[in-house]
Amino acid sequence: MRQFRDGVFSMTGREWSLLAACVLAIIVFSVASPYYATSGNAGTVLRNSIELLLIGLGMMLLLAMGGIDVSVGVVMGLAAIGVGRALGAGVDPVLTAFVGPLTGALLGLVAATVIVLGRVPAIVGTLGLLGVYRTAIFVLLGGQWLSGLPTGLTVLLGTTILGLPIAAYVIALAYLAVWVALRRTPFGLHLLAIGNSEEKARLSGIPVVKVRFATFIISGALTGLAATFYVANYRNVEMTVGSTLALDAIAAVVLGGTSILGGKCSLVGTVLGVLLLRILQNGLLLVGVPSLWQPVVTGGLLIGVLSFEVLSNRLSLLQFRWAGK
Amino acid sequence: MNRIRNLQGSTLVLTLLALLWVVVVFVLLVLKPSVFSLATVTTILQFSTILALVSLGQAIVVMAGGAGIDLSVGGIVSLSAIFGMLALKAGLPSFLLPATCVFAGAVLGAFNGILVTRLSILPLIATLGTFFIYSGLALALTGGAAQSGVPGWLLIWGRSVFSSIPAPFLTIAIPVFAIAGIVLMWTAWGRWIYAIGFNERSAHLVGIPVDRARLILYGLSGALSGAAALISLAWLGSGRPNIGQNLELESLTAAMLGGIAISGGRGGVGGVFAAVILLVTLKTGLLQLNVNTVWQLGIVGALLVFVLLADRLSQRWR
Repeated sequence: MRQFRDGVFSMTGREWSLLAACVLAIIVFSVASPYYATSGNAGTVLRNSIELLLIGLGMMLLLAMGGIDVSVGVVMGLAAIGVGRALGAGVDPVLTAFVGPLTGALLGLVAATVIVLGRVPAIVGTLGLLGVYRTAIFVLLGGQWLSGLPTGLTVLLGTTILGLPIAAYVIALAYLAVWVALRRTPFGLHLLAIGNSEEKARLSGIPVVKVRFATFIISGALTGLAATFYVANYRNVEMTVGSTLALDAIAAVVLGGTSILGGKCSLVGTVLGVLLLRILQNGLLLVGVPSLWQPVVTGGLLIGVLSFEVLSNRLSLLQFRWAGK
Repeated sequence: MNRIRNLQGSTLVLTLLALLWVVVVFVLLVLKPSVFSLATVTTILQFSTILALVSLGQAIVVMAGGAGIDLSVGGIVSLSAIFGMLALKAGLPSFLLPATCVFAGAVLGAFNGILVTRLSILPLIATLGTFFIYSGLALALTGGAAQSGVPGWLLIWGRSVFSSIPAPFLTIAIPVFAIAGIVLMWTAWGRWIYAIGFNERSAHLVGIPVDRARLILYGLSGALSGAAALISLAWLGSGRPNIGQNLELESLTAAMLGGIAISGGRGGVGGVFAAVILLVTLKTGLLQLNVNTVWQLGIVGALLVFVLLADRLSQRWR
């Protein structure tokens, strides 16, 4: 029942070992590469983590509910095109910042309609949507990059208030909002209950359809918010945008201790999982591993962590039995 | 309408697919009469061979239930083609190339099976992880470059045509589907697969080795993908590290279109075969109409979603 009394930053063994892994990785890479331990590189890692963190929070909610979305990368791409177009057309930057989350939420609604109302398994439904959205990106961009966008959004998110950029406040707010929804509202309880057993949740009177819809929409909105940051950060949208984001997000969330079977999740773990993944990817690049190896490393990490968990669970069960005798 | 409604199971699927195919062909004929020549038929069958083998693997994995799915099929196709070519460069005698490709595929598939059955990792997560590992390895090991040097005798087999039917289609796709059909329909093994997919618990209780059967099916799916890789080598003449791109989406669409239930325990290989032909006809037709290839992905994806929704709706009506 610990999960219901979670503080904003409560840590358990899992989170501490993740933190240790992050520190260890930083030390190893600092020794291995002279370019690693610089403030510029630390900034790069943090900037690169923003989109993944926001998408990861949404993915965490979906996985905890027993769902999944493999189309997050292209959803972010579509939302980024929306933000980019609005920015290019000279819309006020404050308004364009909202285009991302709105587009994302709308696409989340589409996914929820197919998956929840159509009762299609989430993996297959979102895989189909992935194909459709990938084509939509090609068609919307017309074979060209969206590049050279105005700096309005970048300036807006970089404006500092009390020493911190607005971007930091937005991310903190998103994190807090997810925490409140998950740990302090009936919605969070319902979501975890559905993750544990949809049938039991339905029988105990939880509005399963409503909660599942809401979760897909929230995840979509977070992914759309990530698109706002993406555009502010890179000021262009390329055609293959977000092609490994879904895997990265799932790997980070699973690393963070969220159960892929649903019913259990960790917010701090997700943040640390995202950081560890980005630290590893950045470090390997600086050590001289070609970027083509990145999906191999991420996929290996995902499979490795899951296998290790199963095996260590079995081992501790075995020890328990021996001790009993 | 009544007659269609009275049709059951595989007959219904086959009838609907045949109707759809006729519609597609008719529309194409109206839009561009010059499309239909024997050369087009050959192209369609050549493309179908690769997709058919992969879809068959996907179909048997899905059929065996337990939320079974193999998202790594495309990665296996790419990696076994690359592995075969790299082994050839390292001095493997060329007559062993076919066996090497199929064996590599089987090993990669069996690895999926071990993750799913022995470590009980959810199939969709396990194969999503291995999808990125396999397809990433294929790209990383070659730096993205195509590997040339396929032995000449393999090219002769891969490119020869008997009365406009490609040799690989005749010698691999048709026999494999025939064997799969016979095994599924008339052997205990086939019954086991349906039983496992329909109700895992009762299958277990009557003594069917559920885990071992699933492990073998994942290995088999991998071997079929390896065979598809071999055919791509023999046809294209080089090993391309991205040859398996989007095959997971296409094979799933073909399996769903072909009447395989996503929850397992229902469907047959005839429907899958017909769905593959339909899909490839549609894709080739669009290509002939000069529709940009990026549309193919979207159309296949939309078809997948549509088929699943239609399946649910038709169940509600009954």
